[in-house]
Amino acid sequence: MRRCKGQSLLETALLLPFLLLFLVGTIELGKIVYTFFALQKALYSIARMAGTQQGINLCDSADPLLTSTINTVLTGTSAGDGPSLIQGMTATDVLVSVERYDPVSNSLGPCACSILGCDTSSGGAPPDFVVVSLVNGYTVSPVFPLFKVDPFQLRPQIRIPYGGT
Amino acid sequence: MVIRSLHNPRKTSQRGAITIQVLILLVPVIMGLIGFAFDLGRLYSARNDLKNAANSMAMAMAGQLIGTDASTGTAPLVGQLTIDNSGGLGNKYDFNGNVLGQDNGALTNTVGDPQFYSTLSDAIGSSNEGSGNTVSGSAAKYVRININGETPLVFWNFLSLVQNRRTLVQATAVAGVSAPLCTTCSIEPIALPAQDQTDLVDFGFVAGNVYTLAYLCTGNGTPAVLPGGGPVLRYALLNRLSTSSSIFAGETSQVLRMGADGLPPSTVQGDACFFLNTAEAIWATATPVTCINPSVNTTVQAFVCGLGLRFESTLQDVCTVIPESDSIATIYSQDADLSSVTDYTQYVGQGRRVITIPIVDSTADTAAMTVLGFRQFLVEPNQGAVTVAAADAASRFIVMYLGTVKPVRQGSFGGCSQTAGPGKVVLHR
Repeated sequence: MRRCKGQSLLETALLLPFLLLFLVGTIELGKIVYTFFALQKALYSIARMAGTQQGINLCDSADPLLTSTINTVLTGTSAGDGPSLIQGMTATDVLVSVERYDPVSNSLGPCACSILGCDTSSGGAPPDFVVVSLVNGYTVSPVFPLFKVDPFQLRPQIRIPYGGT
Repeated sequence: MVIRSLHNPRKTSQRGAITIQVLILLVPVIMGLIGFAFDLGRLYSARNDLKNAANSMAMAMAGQLIGTDASTGTAPLVGQLTIDNSGGLGNKYDFNGNVLGQDNGALTNTVGDPQFYSTLSDAIGSSNEGSGNTVSGSAAKYVRININGETPLVFWNFLSLVQNRRTLVQATAVAGVSAPLCTTCSIEPIALPAQDQTDLVDFGFVAGNVYTLAYLCTGNGTPAVLPGGGPVLRYALLNRLSTSSSIFAGETSQVLRMGADGLPPSTVQGDACFFLNTAEAIWATATPVTCINPSVNTTVQAFVCGLGLRFESTLQDVCTVIPESDSIATIYSQDADLSSVTDYTQYVGQGRRVITIPIVDSTADTAAMTVLGFRQFLVEPNQGAVTVAAADAASRFIVMYLGTVKPVRQGSFGGCSQTAGPGKVVLHR
């Protein structure tokens, strides 16, 4: 009887690392998928909000309206006081760029941040499309026991027409 | 079986069998759970990506539906740009790795042809598809987009339901014009009196009819009809002078911009928008001219100069005195269709010549003109000319009444009840 108990302990000890590996692997994969999903949702919300704000200057990353829009999506407060929806992410991590539609060539191109482009603060016309992405991506560092996985970046982005609701 | 062996010391031949049994039983289960969790997350994420892409495409297309026959030809081209990845910025799916509308090797996706509808109920249809009442050309007000993409699977691959280690995920979006707006922004700040206040749809204007718009005047007489212009309607320039503007702050400079592209964006809503059922006053320096032998009002003239920038990229001579007019002229592009249009459905421009203006109860009291609604007109070139004439002393120009054909850029609901009027682009599904 005692011999069997010892055997069970030994077998459990042998099995436990594999079970933990599977468990941690499940959690880590789930976290990565969830993080990407949350990032994509957040960027879409930022693009929609930014694309419908009256008087927003999408050319200026420090524009108060743009900053408060990003903060609202990430933290629920325009000042960015609350905890971020996505851990460690702040308004400065979000990259908003603007595009102009050329009806002659039926193409999109970057809209320069000048009076001839989309810099509304200097009199430029609003853009036709807004692209929201992350400045350097969002770094995830999955932890898999017994395996070394290098950190990598998630790089979601969204392109939305300017205007609408 | 496992428990029994634990309590039977005599079955020494089963030593070590527990680990093997547990491994054989548990590993596939745990692997399955991992795969199942990963597959579900991946499917959910892919569906979100496809839905975002469909939304973006539908909104881009809906903005092009301006009531012309050409609009349903232009809309798909613009919608396609949302997934155009030539610059690396197109909407994609499956962890931003698969380009939509392209063959990605192992995975395929399909961006369905857009379907256009004249009513929202037809566009929404059943849960999986719109009704069969599709339309094309000028009747199109709503667009429905279906996008589907294959998503790779890990765990579900072992189920008989799935073949080739992938499954199809579909997303649908319906976008189109909204209900009439109560607050309308980025529109043109001129007002026309309603011809018939009991006509809540057209205010007495007749769709397709052309009118000569002449600035308000005093004294006896009536401004002359412009050749080919139809009956004279007198308009007023409504006050939207921004005292806080730091760019193009000059008064006529501000009006020039408004003529060229409507009220400019502003964080001050009152500067950029008009509100239904609200009294508006005439622009202080845009005082009415005399009806007979009028003299030019430079503020109103600046507005017509702006209208001219919808036809040509260079300023007319009389407009060059406006401060910073050279800089302003570089901002705006001319319309693609500069011709005199007799049937709006045949217009092939991008809508630059369509103006949205407040319709007021009366212009008799220029200090209190109550906004009854917003309606749209097409600015026409003067007969035998390529543009409007900014030098005209009565600031006359020709317009065609359209009703409500084009979604406006900005606006909001609430605070009013309307059955007709312009809306904005919204997602309906």
